[in-house]
Amino acid sequence: MAIDLTPAAPPASVSATLTETEVRVTSGFTGAKISVYGAVFDPAGKPSDVVVVVRGPTQPVRIARKVRVSGIWLNSRPVVFEGAPGFYRAASTRPLQDITRFGQLRKLGLGLDHLAIAAPAERRIETRYGVRDMVVSSLGDDYFRWRGAVVRLKQAAGLYSADADGVTFVDKGLFLARVDLPAQAPIGQYTARVILFQDGKPVSDRTLPLKVEKVGLERAVYLFAHQHPWSYGLVSALIALGAGWAASRAFRRS
Amino acid sequence: MDLYLPIAEMSVNAPLLIALGAAVGFISGLFGIGGGFLMTPVLVFMGIPPAVAVASLSNHVAASSFSSVTTYSRRRMVDFRMGGVLAAGGIVGAIVGVEVFRVLRLLGQADLVVSVSYLLFLGVIGALMLWESLGTILRRRRGESAPPRRDRRPILLYALPWKMRFPKSRLYISVIPPILLGLFVGILSAIMGVGGGFILVPAMIYLLRMPASVVVGTSLFQIVITASLTCVLQAGRNQTVDVVLATLLLVGGVLGAQLGARASARFRAEELRALLALIVLLVGVRMGLGLFIQPDDAFVLVAAAG
Repeated sequence: MAIDLTPAAPPASVSATLTETEVRVTSGFTGAKISVYGAVFDPAGKPSDVVVVVRGPTQPVRIARKVRVSGIWLNSRPVVFEGAPGFYRAASTRPLQDITRFGQLRKLGLGLDHLAIAAPAERRIETRYGVRDMVVSSLGDDYFRWRGAVVRLKQAAGLYSADADGVTFVDKGLFLARVDLPAQAPIGQYTARVILFQDGKPVSDRTLPLKVEKVGLERAVYLFAHQHPWSYGLVSALIALGAGWAASRAFRRS
Repeated sequence: MDLYLPIAEMSVNAPLLIALGAAVGFISGLFGIGGGFLMTPVLVFMGIPPAVAVASLSNHVAASSFSSVTTYSRRRMVDFRMGGVLAAGGIVGAIVGVEVFRVLRLLGQADLVVSVSYLLFLGVIGALMLWESLGTILRRRRGESAPPRRDRRPILLYALPWKMRFPKSRLYISVIPPILLGLFVGILSAIMGVGGGFILVPAMIYLLRMPASVVVGTSLFQIVITASLTCVLQAGRNQTVDVVLATLLLVGGVLGAQLGARASARFRAEELRALLALIVLLVGVRMGLGLFIQPDDAFVLVAAAG
C-alpha cells in the first residue's frame, strides 16, 4: 500500500438529517414519505458514494415451504429466521457491488443479499470431514433458497427494497434519498444509517433515529388490547351485542 | 376513505368494508346464518391476517346474530331451552377451539386446517342441502306431494339417558346429542371464524328432528352465545380481535341482517335452502382449491406465534 505523503487534508465526512423523526400512525395512516437530506464535506473533492439504509425493528420471521403430499399442497414445518428487520431499505448512488467489495458489504450488512438474517434454531454443531465443531444448518444446501424466499416475500409485501439510484446528488455535496413507509410497516424504533464511501472504503457514517408509533385512538385501542386483553374482549363483545340490540330496536320502530 | 386498523396493523378502505358487512349481513338475516363462512374468506383475500380475521369476525357474528335473533324471538320462533343446551356444548367447544387454533398457528398448519375444514364441511353440507332442496322444488313443480316423512324415531335421540322436554320444539329427547352438536360447532366456530349456522340448521332439522319454524331462531340464539364467548377468548388468549375492523363490519352487518330477516318472509323455505346450498358449496370449493393448485411461490410467511 502506497504511503500518502501529501499534507494531511481533513478527512471527508458526511452529515444528514431526516425530514421527520417521528411518524405518527393515526386512524388515517396510509403510509409515510420521508426524505433523508445530507451533505458530504470533502475538501479533497474525491468521488463519493452514499448509501442510506433504513431498518425497522427486528422481528423474527416464520416461513414454511409448500410441499406436495399425495396430491395436496401442505405447509412444511415452519423455519424461524432471527435478526430480520421488519422494514429494510437500502438506497445508494450506484449499485452496491460497484461501490465496495463483497466482504465490506457483508461486514456492514448492506443490501438485500447481505442482510444479517439467520435461522439459529436450525443450526447443528457436528463433526464433518473429520473437522470438529462445524456449524451446519439442518436446511442443508437449501438454506440459501429459504433465506432468499424470506427476502423475496418481504419485498413482495413492500417491506424490503433496494434502490441503486435511491440516493441522488442534488447539488455539489448535497444528496437526497426518499423512503416510502407503507401502511403495513411495523411500529417501533427505526434507524437510518448514512454511510459515505470513498475508494470502496466506508469513510464516515451517521445513524439517525426514526420512531414509528401509534397515537391517539389507535394507540389507546392497541394498548388496551395488549395490556388488558380480557377486559378488551369483554368490552368488544358488549359493543357487538349492544349494536345488534340497537339495530333491532331501530328497525322495530320504523 | 382509508382507515388504519390498530390490531391488524394495516390500512383498509372503510366504505368497502361497511358495504361488505351489509351484504353479508343481508345474507345472514335471509338464511338465518351468521355469515362468517362468507366473510372470513373475503377478509383474508383482502390481506387481513387470517388470525385477526377469524377472531374479529366472532365479534361481528355475535352482533348480526343478536340483531336477527331479537326479530325471531318477537315472532316466537326461538326455542330458548334447546338453544341453552346447545350453547352449553358450544361454550366448551369454543374454549377447546381457541386453544386448538393457537397450537395450529404455532405449528404453521392453521391455513391447512382452515382450508380443509372449509372444503370438507361446506362442500358436504352444501351438496346435501342442494340435493334435498332441489328434490323438494322439483316435486312441488310436478305437483307431487312430499314423500311420507319416515317418522322412525331415531334410536340415538331417545335411547340415551338425560332426557329433557323441549315444549317449543315438541321434543322429548336426550340432551347428549344437542350438547355434542353444540360442542362440535363451537370448535369449528373458533377455527373457521364462523358462527356455525350452516351446520347447526341442517343438523337440527335432520338429526334432532326439530320443527323447521324454530330452527333458524334457535341456531341464531346459540350462535350469539358462542360467538360472544369466542370473541372474549380470542382477545384474551391471542390478542387478535380488532375492534375497529369488527365495528366497521358491524355497522353494515346489523342493518343488512334486519333487511335480510324481513326479506326472508317473501321466499319459500326450499328455494332459500337451494340458494344457500349453492353459496355454501361455491365458498367451500373456492377455499379448498388452494390445496390442489400448485402455489405460485413455494414458500409462505407464517404468522408469528402469538
